Parts: sequence; structure tokens; C-alpha cells
Amino acid sequence: MDVVNQLQRQFIDYSASLHREGFLDDQFTQLQKLQDDNSPDFVVEVASLFFEDCEKLINNMARALEQQQGVDFKQVDASVHQLKGSSSSIGAMRVKDVCIAFRSFCEAQNREGCLRCLQQVTHEYSLLKNKLQTLFRLQQQILAAGGSIPVVE
Amino acid sequence: MAPTLPSSDQASDQDNWDNGRLARKRQLLIEIVLRNKLTALVVDGDTTCRVLEQLLLRSYGVQTQGVDNGRDAVALIASGVKFDLIIIDMILPVLNGLEATRQIRDMGVHCKMLGVTICSGESERQVFLAAGVDVFIEKPLDPEHLVPILRELDGQ
Repeated sequence: MDVVNQLQRQFIDYSASLHREGFLDDQFTQLQKLQDDNSPDFVVEVASLFFEDCEKLINNMARALEQQQGVDFKQVDASVHQLKGSSSSIGAMRVKDVCIAFRSFCEAQNREGCLRCLQQVTHEYSLLKNKLQTLFRLQQQILAAGGSIPVVE
Repeated sequence: MAPTLPSSDQASDQDNWDNGRLARKRQLLIEIVLRNKLTALVVDGDTTCRVLEQLLLRSYGVQTQGVDNGRDAVALIASGVKFDLIIIDMILPVLNGLEATRQIRDMGVHCKMLGVTICSGESERQVFLAAGVDVFIEKPLDPEHLVPILRELDGQ
């Protein structure tokens, strides 16, 4: 039981830090509440979907911005727009915030600004991916030790 | 003396004051029980969003289908499938949400349509409402916006 308590505490602390540092917002907490015995891996699965989407969209943006003879900013904007939608749906706050800035640069047709945002969004996405993988690993350990995942408010 | 839980939509100020935490939790996940079988169509080109919206609806017992573009949405409705609720994004592949909404309305379909989109400007709101959605909701779709609508559809 000690092991479970320890792991649960770690999980709570880690979750809290992710919220505090702005990686996740209330939307993510809500998703965790939707998870139940019928769909125990739901959050992990949705996160994987999100990361797949992210990678695809980031690649689209990179390709569009690489074009030497005139960047199609509408295309970049379409991808950023989609990323903004999915990141806000899953609660990936920092990714979403970069998207907001990114869209302004698209609107202003500022290639350099866009490239900077692309770097930022790639960075935030990989940070988040790492952090969520750690969180999910903790989750797994708790379940393996026979405990239940605490809900962090 | 243990505090009794207030009924789902009549929390007293005292409860909220004493139980800020409880109130906040209820804000995040509002529970209702639907009496009727409701059906919904989710139209969103983004997999993450579509999956999440369908899951949210299912968690309330709503039977859902999902399509990822406007053309398939129109085709599905045209084939005669009925839904109590359609959730549709503004920007969609193949056929955009505005046009898809117009076409669905033109078919004489009167069900509740929610425009759920990341676009947050007043002009977008007006345009989407003019196209025929009943409610404009900025993503992400959350229980606070969804539950009253489900209640209404359920005749509660």
C-alpha cells in the first residue's frame, strides 16, 4: 500500500506541476474525468491521436514555409488553425498559445515570424509529449501496483 | 454533520462557498441523466477534436456518428439518416462548414445544429448563425454549453 501511496503522490505532484507550468489546462482534467472502467486507456489513446495530428500538421507547416518561391500563408494558417483546435480540445495550453501568435504572423504574411513560431510549436509539442509520457508511465505503475489513478483537481 | 450533496442544478451559495472545490468539480463535469435516446452527428476534420466531441457526447449516453468533411455530412443527411443534434465545425475539408450547414438546412432539416469552432470573432459568429446553426460555441466543446442543450432536446 505504501508503494501505491507514494506513486499516487508522485502522480498528483507531477500533474499539479504540469498545470502550474501551463502545459495542461482544465480541459485535460475534464478528459481525465471522462475516463472510467469502460475506457481505461482513453486519455492515453486520445493523447496519441493528438501527437499524430501534431506531427502531421507541423510537417505541413514546415513544407509550406520551405517554399522558396512564395509561401502559401493560407495553407500554413489552415494547419495552424487545426492545431489550435485540437490543442485546445485536449488542453494543451502552451501549444495553443503558440498557435495564437502563429496565426497573427500568417495573417501578416511574415515568413520569419512564422518560422520562429514553427520552432516554438515544435519545441512545445515535444516537451508536452515527453511530459505526458512520464505522466502515463506513472499511471501505469500505479495500476500495476494495484492502485487507482487519483483525480487531480 | 456531513453536508448533503445539492441536486445537480440547485447548489446553494452556502455549498459553493464551503465547497469551492466541489463547485469547481461540478463545473468541470456536469452530470445529467437523459430519459430519451438522443442521436448526434459530429462533423470535424480534425481527428482529435472529432474523437473528443464524440466521446463527450457518448459519456452522456448520446449515440454518435462522426464524419470528417462537409460533403460526407451532407450526403449522410441527404440519405435520410436523422439526428437530434449536429455538431459542425466551420472549417472543413472538401465542403466547408458554412456551405454544409446551408445545404443541410435547405433540405428542410430542422434539428439542433451547434457550430463548434476555434474561430472566435463576432463576424465568424454572425456568419455561422446566418448559415443556419442554432448556437455558436468556441472550441473546446464543454459540458457547460452542451448539457443545457441536451436537457432541452431531452424535454427536461
